[in-house]
Amino acid sequence: MDSQNAIFERIVRPHLDRLYRLSWRLAGSKAEAEDLFQELLLKAYGMLDQLIDIEEPGTWLSRVMYNLFIDQQRRFRRQRLQTVDEGHLPGEGLAAFASDLDPVADKLRYDKLASLDRALNQLSEEHRTVVLLHDTEGYKLAEIQIITDTPVGTLKSRLHRARARLREILESDGTFSR
Amino acid sequence: MNTDEHKEQELLDLLKDYPMPQAEAGFYDQALAKAAHRGTRKQRNRWLATGFGSALAAGLAAWVVFAFLLGAPTQDVAEPTIPGVTIALEEPKTVRLMFASKESLDNAMLTVSLPDGVELSGFPGQREITWETSLVEGRNVLPLTLVALTPAGGEVFAKLEHGDKDQVFRLRVNIS
Repeated sequence: MDSQNAIFERIVRPHLDRLYRLSWRLAGSKAEAEDLFQELLLKAYGMLDQLIDIEEPGTWLSRVMYNLFIDQQRRFRRQRLQTVDEGHLPGEGLAAFASDLDPVADKLRYDKLASLDRALNQLSEEHRTVVLLHDTEGYKLAEIQIITDTPVGTLKSRLHRARARLREILESDGTFSR
Repeated sequence: MNTDEHKEQELLDLLKDYPMPQAEAGFYDQALAKAAHRGTRKQRNRWLATGFGSALAAGLAAWVVFAFLLGAPTQDVAEPTIPGVTIALEEPKTVRLMFASKESLDNAMLTVSLPDGVELSGFPGQREITWETSLVEGRNVLPLTLVALTPAGGEVFAKLEHGDKDQVFRLRVNIS
């Protein structure tokens, strides 16, 4: 491995788990997440001179990934095939379901998560992103502000509306009691 | 805790529990190696000069766009050119089929038929895979990860059915 590759890996590797998770939460499917993840690394490698001087490379890389994702979305909107995405087969992420070794509890929990999966896919991209990054991945609003270049006030509003919409969907399908 | 707070907490607990698969063993190493191998400025400039985005140049997912217009008159529509993708032998490649639907459709059936020597990742040995799906108005994306086991290639057929209507899309698969 030459020194440039070693420098790149030293900077990037500590953030790979979090970036992989981010790619999944943005793209919503394994194939697209892994493409996005790879595209980020290609771009980041080409910007190594800049990356070396970044104080918080994790946040910087997250922002670059988000911008790649948005650019990808825009490219396909320009083809007039817009509106709602269904970029993955429903429930693909549920392949990671971890069993509690209690079949009855597992079934109930799996059904709830499958309902949540369907509900999330009914949200707008902006609402889905903020609720997954904040409530599922534990990003602070200040971090999401940097990554998405969106004011915190707007993010709070989106988060509030996204949760309300999720509750509404989950109540209407019987997952939550009214 | 009042009822609203309880409902909020119930939702937050469920969201925290929302699973996500881990990266497969070796994926990070492969991704880093690809970036290092392909990510030089010289290569990037060449890719951009030829008009391809980095995703295509890096051999990432190919996109194939279909217009899904069930019930639309067909006599005025010219015979479409069959889109094609080229995949390497025994190297999985994701092809995203994008269906542009003029209306949302529930309970549509999608059947993917594969030529001999081409498999869908996760469905070893199956020549035909059918599943029920829903389409939204506008863009619907179906990622298919194809693996060529022989150099013959052929055509993939994706048949979308809804009620008594159906439409078949063809995709030529070339093996490099």
